[in-house]
Amino acid sequence: MRALAFAWRSLVRQPARTALGVLGVAAVGALLFDMLLLSDGLVTSMRDVLDRTGFDIRVTATGELPRGGSRIPNASAVLKTFAALPEVERVMAIRFADGTVGVAPRSRTSVENDARPPYDTVSVQAVDGDAPYPWTVLRGRDVSGLNEVVVNEAMAQDLGVALGASLPLRPQCLSRSEVLPPTTVRVVGIVEFPLALGDFIVGSAMATLDAACGGNSSDEAEAMLVRATGDVDVAATALARARPDLRPMTNAQVLGRLQRTGFTYFQQISAVLTTVTLAFALLLITVLLTVSVNQRVGEIAALRALGLSRARVVADVLCESLLIVGFGGLLSLPLGFALAQGLDRILKDMPGIPSAMHFFVFQPQALAWHGGLLALTAFIAALYPMRLVAGLPIATTLRNEVTS
Amino acid sequence: MAAPAVTAQEASLPTVLVSRQVAEELRITEGAVVQVAPPEGSRARQFRVAAIYEPTPDPARLGATIREVRLHLPDLLDLTRDPKAFLGTDRVEAVNIALVDAGDARAFARDVNARLPGVLARTTVDAAGGGPFRVLERFHLAIALVTIIAATVFLLALTIMLVDERRETVGVLRLIGLPTSRILAQLAVEGLFVAGAGAVVGLAMAAGSEQLINRFFQWRYDTALVFVHITPKVALQCVAIAVPLGVAATVVASWALLRRNALKLVRR
Amino acid sequence: MTSTPATPIVRADRVTRAFAMASGPVIAVRDVSLAIDAGDYLAVRGPSGCGKSTLLHMLGCVDTPSEGTLEFEGRDVAKLSDRERSLLRLRAIGFVFQRFFLLPMLTAAENVELPQSEAGVGRRDRQARTRELLDYVGLAARADHRPSQLSGGEMQRVAIARALANKPRLLLADEPTGELDQTTGEHIAELLDRVNADGTALVIVTHDHTLASRARRVVTLRDGQVESDQAR
Repeated sequence: MRALAFAWRSLVRQPARTALGVLGVAAVGALLFDMLLLSDGLVTSMRDVLDRTGFDIRVTATGELPRGGSRIPNASAVLKTFAALPEVERVMAIRFADGTVGVAPRSRTSVENDARPPYDTVSVQAVDGDAPYPWTVLRGRDVSGLNEVVVNEAMAQDLGVALGASLPLRPQCLSRSEVLPPTTVRVVGIVEFPLALGDFIVGSAMATLDAACGGNSSDEAEAMLVRATGDVDVAATALARARPDLRPMTNAQVLGRLQRTGFTYFQQISAVLTTVTLAFALLLITVLLTVSVNQRVGEIAALRALGLSRARVVADVLCESLLIVGFGGLLSLPLGFALAQGLDRILKDMPGIPSAMHFFVFQPQALAWHGGLLALTAFIAALYPMRLVAGLPIATTLRNEVTS
Repeated sequence: MAAPAVTAQEASLPTVLVSRQVAEELRITEGAVVQVAPPEGSRARQFRVAAIYEPTPDPARLGATIREVRLHLPDLLDLTRDPKAFLGTDRVEAVNIALVDAGDARAFARDVNARLPGVLARTTVDAAGGGPFRVLERFHLAIALVTIIAATVFLLALTIMLVDERRETVGVLRLIGLPTSRILAQLAVEGLFVAGAGAVVGLAMAAGSEQLINRFFQWRYDTALVFVHITPKVALQCVAIAVPLGVAATVVASWALLRRNALKLVRR
Repeated sequence: MTSTPATPIVRADRVTRAFAMASGPVIAVRDVSLAIDAGDYLAVRGPSGCGKSTLLHMLGCVDTPSEGTLEFEGRDVAKLSDRERSLLRLRAIGFVFQRFFLLPMLTAAENVELPQSEAGVGRRDRQARTRELLDYVGLAARADHRPSQLSGGEMQRVAIARALANKPRLLLADEPTGELDQTTGEHIAELLDRVNADGTALVIVTHDHTLASRARRVVTLRDGQVESDQAR
């Protein structure tokens, strides 16, 4: 009987103990899998989100991420300069503004007796450039004319904003000491804003935002979004050369910065918990196997006396470890997937996280790491009981079994 | 390093607080005279550094270099005012409001938006989200729950093995007439001692690793954020979970053994 | 015309086995010399603690002497590696234990197959040999039963079948009837007689006078030394 089959029989002999060992490995294996997903999850998700906007480079005034620093002045001139570059396929200016929209109080619980509709705070993204825009249309169509807007799913669901609805929009404009009457805009589409922050988001053409500000908004943009014709780094260099006062950042550079700042905590957590879960699994399997070996020393000594080699009995112990960890590892995958969904939902509530981002993202190498780490754990966990078995004094053990 | 003696001229300057990170980067000491200007660089004014402070750590900005200074509000308003602004310096960026009932926050914000055009009111803490600390708390709790489940499984496996090692003893006790309840109580008491000792050792290990973890991450991120903090409440919670779990695992494992025929227990 | 005497299966020449204890060394076997030839039937007797099992373990290459020489078919056992000694035990020596030491998770047939599998015997040959051995010990009908389903005597018969799996030249039995009742013990003794009659040298360590009286040679140990070595 080969070592693996023998190990299987040994494990099945103690079904409760084996089942608990497998379940324990499954639980920690699920956590380990999730930590592996988390370690690269944010970066992978962010990369996907950045790519989905359809642009490769972000140009800002100070190199800070959009909404983090000063605006780019004379945005329309910058737009023309960049558009003329051969390295640039297309360019779009983007400006953010806060504002309020009035929503009919059909389901509101407050001010029900007041004629004024409640005004919810919204974030406005206004773009200047040709379609496609940095959002994805889910229903309806994209903006194509003045005073047309698109809204996100949360606005459609929570505020009951329907396609075709007219909303009074009051953005915060250039001068904060001015307050203009709201502008009525029409909702033409429900979209997904990959990188937007906030609950309620409105997208429009820059002209609509300018009109809502009475034509008084400045010719500024938070950022220029650029799609390169060829090599992204070459395009970034060309942009920097054309406007040395501005700071282009490729998607890769944006990711790099996020990795060093906001994402780093989760990567550290991932590393710490990966270590803890592996240590836990190691302890569990080592104790299980050691106790199992100690309870079977008589049998093992008898097998050695019968002629089974040291390598063979050691291999039996290693195979037991591999089987427990193997089955536990397989079971941990569906558990890990389910747990990842739950943890992702919790972490997505974190402020400052775009709605399209996820913390736990599946990548095939996570599976490879998971399997490799568990296999290594199985081997290391078996080392001590293997050593016990290898060094078992046959004659003394047989004698002790008789006299005990 | 002692602050240099302040001259009469310097003493008359308005004061500013400088964050530790800025002080280290620019080698500013307490009592130094610094120039602070708005982003465009003009209208710089001199201030005397009254103290160097540790900024409130924010997990959402972990890893970012915190560069901030704190001025008295009139000084800040004077520094950043728009000369063309109609209202002069009598304006602020934001007003924080604490409501009697925080559940009214969203409705209140909507109402203010409707009644005060030009003012943007938004809730500071989203009811569902709860801010970064709350989110992290929930995240850590979820991880802790999974760890407890795994630990319980481990504990059960261990107690089954430990109790099984005593099967012959248990079998003999049954054969000589001790009732099951007596043997179970004995094993439960043993489980209580082991679980109690384990909980104490666990707390000691946690206290040791608390220091290590905090020191490491505070160094790594140059922050005063406390990552692990074991309070008496947390310690009590851990003991309240661990000890009953340990005793329960012992009782479950023992019960499974005691249900078997006593003769089979003593037979090899 | 004289024939060259055959090499004994095992030759012990003034072997001593000492164990280091906290209170000082304990000499379990002292200065013992004996030889076991093919087909011998030897009983080793003596009071508890006289070194019988220790001597048996050395004869079976499970233990090595502290002093003296032990040769198995002319090879110095002390010079063999652990792997070589294992192979020797696997192919040339069979062990029967007082406590049977059958593997509880394997059936009777699987227990008998185990040493054959380890020795590289093919599946078909293994199964044939196992059937033959279980038939030899009278348990052909219990081949698929686990040890927990067998009586003490049946377990010991399976253990004997297992010990004979690779056709050893020497069978060593340490108190084979120690945990059996008298009637069952007699059946085991008869089986061991048959094993010896079929050509396997047999060394039994026993307290049982009846079992020892079946041997053709009795070695009596006292305090680790041979008190007498008599042929019957």
